[in-house]
Amino acid sequence: MFDHHMNTLLTFLSGIRWQDIVDIFLNSYILFRLYVLFRGTNVIRVVAGIALLWIFQRIALGMGLIVTSWAMQGIIAGAALIIIIVFRNEIRNVLQAKNLRALLWDFPQKTERTPIDRIVEGVYELARSRIGALIVLPDKDDLDEIVQGGVEWQGRISKEMLLSIFWNGNPVHDGAAIIEGDRVTRVGCILPLSSRDDLPQYYGTRHRAAVGLAEKSDALIIAVSEERGEVVAVKNNAITPITDNLSLLHCLREHLGAPIQNASIAKRDKLELGTAAAFCIICMALIWFSFARGMDTLTSIEVPLEYMNRDTRMQIVSTSVNSVRLYLSGSGTLISSLRSDQVRVKLDLSGAKNGENNFIITNDSIVIPPGVRLNRIEPSSVKLVLEIPATKTMPIQVDWVGTLPEGLILEAAQVTPTQIEVEGPSQVLNQMSALYTQQVSLDNLKSSGQLSVSIALEPASLKIPEPYKNKVKVSYTIAKREKYYQKQ
Amino acid sequence: MIRNRSGLCLGIVLCLVLVFFSISMAQEGIPTDTADGPVLSRAVMCESIEGYEPLFVAVAFSINTGKISCYTSFENIKTTTFTVHRWYRRNELVTTKRLTLKSPRWATYSSIQLREADKGPWRVEVWDADDKLVQTLRFSVTD
Repeated sequence: MFDHHMNTLLTFLSGIRWQDIVDIFLNSYILFRLYVLFRGTNVIRVVAGIALLWIFQRIALGMGLIVTSWAMQGIIAGAALIIIIVFRNEIRNVLQAKNLRALLWDFPQKTERTPIDRIVEGVYELARSRIGALIVLPDKDDLDEIVQGGVEWQGRISKEMLLSIFWNGNPVHDGAAIIEGDRVTRVGCILPLSSRDDLPQYYGTRHRAAVGLAEKSDALIIAVSEERGEVVAVKNNAITPITDNLSLLHCLREHLGAPIQNASIAKRDKLELGTAAAFCIICMALIWFSFARGMDTLTSIEVPLEYMNRDTRMQIVSTSVNSVRLYLSGSGTLISSLRSDQVRVKLDLSGAKNGENNFIITNDSIVIPPGVRLNRIEPSSVKLVLEIPATKTMPIQVDWVGTLPEGLILEAAQVTPTQIEVEGPSQVLNQMSALYTQQVSLDNLKSSGQLSVSIALEPASLKIPEPYKNKVKVSYTIAKREKYYQKQ
Repeated sequence: MIRNRSGLCLGIVLCLVLVFFSISMAQEGIPTDTADGPVLSRAVMCESIEGYEPLFVAVAFSINTGKISCYTSFENIKTTTFTVHRWYRRNELVTTKRLTLKSPRWATYSSIQLREADKGPWRVEVWDADDKLVQTLRFSVTD
């Protein structure tokens, strides 16, 4: 029993191609990159939720819970659309990466260009001096659509400048200042107010604005109370009271991605990425297995032969078969989704000679989708007769049908031209002695006359000169039967 | 002397006549493909033959006719020989008829009985005793 399983495993492993390994790792890396790029955003959480829903949907389907499965399918379809709409900013930020490197193999590292110490000093002085302040440090989200008004500033950060911006006499002191990199880029900005009703009563408009922006973006907002000199840091839904400079320093460093000094945090980060990478590989291996190897299914398909690289002078006169039957195997998913246009059999006629040819259908002649294996071809060879066309001059004969009216007789018929040169495969021409016209009905002929009729070209590979392609002339003589009685 | 000389001349003339006669007799045995062999004077398709003459000559015959004939007449027949009528439906040889020809002129014919499956274009090839195609007659069997 154990040996049997070992043999199955060895057979399976020996069947894995290098392309399969590349396939798994390439897709694992793509999945891993998506995780890295969207890490820390809500997108990952929602995608994980959708994946969970999908698993439940499959389970529901497996258990025969039709309505549940149908509802979940609907939710998943809707959720996929909602992700694009709701997280358009996150998606845009990822796709608008400044260079290809950032998209393909960089780990997002926020550089500590922002002088954290100066901000900490400035905020400390503002609080000590009881000067109300609202400082915004954006993260990935674009704030242009959320923040309104404001004055372009572009001043290098310093303790003194922060104090002067929020000094009571300054016309822009009531708004928020936005810090990007080492500069205060805008001041006097109006932030959206939060409509939360669980905020402390003593929170004024400044705090509501801080919470309001945090609700709509991933920015860190530092609010300094004018009345009490208290400092709070707001990010997402968390309002963190800042009691000393050290906690503000940590808060800023965490937001701005400053080098993490704590070894355990660094280790945790590496562990998280390692786990994600392993998860991506396992996930992809399972998907690949279900697509490419799982539940080996056999099928057979009739495929018409296609001829390539034929010498244009040569014509195919006859073939032993027009199609071949291919016996294919692969996973049930692949086999059931197999379309007839994905499987092709192409015969290379570049080496064909005049006369009978025998072609062996090899694997190189067959095009099948990746993951599908070819087991057998029936028949495995094709006999093909190719010929360079010959010419032959042949008489033309009228193919009369129907019946002449009573008492009449078709005495003679003359075709003009009487004979023409025909081009076609020599084997076919050798068996022919005449060309026949299309059928000409006698039913309505009452007296001698002329007709224009087409030549019936059988087989269609025959060619006749251009002037006679459409019509030849037929002169016919109709006589009365009674003339014979008179003679008698 | 004069009588002897005239008798010699008569003998030579007689010999020459004999030689010429024997040569001309030998030439009759030459096959008909020589220029003075049998000559086809008439070849037609007809519905029937009456009084050694073709009746209702045509190139299209209704299947209801029942029987059709190929009439051929030859002239300049030096000795008894034969002709062959080969009947074809499209490219398929249906029947071959060998017909005797007698000196000096001879008319002969071959016939076939028509069946439902015989509809379509036909031809009759007239061949001589030396297997040389003399003429082809083309016609149709219709409804």
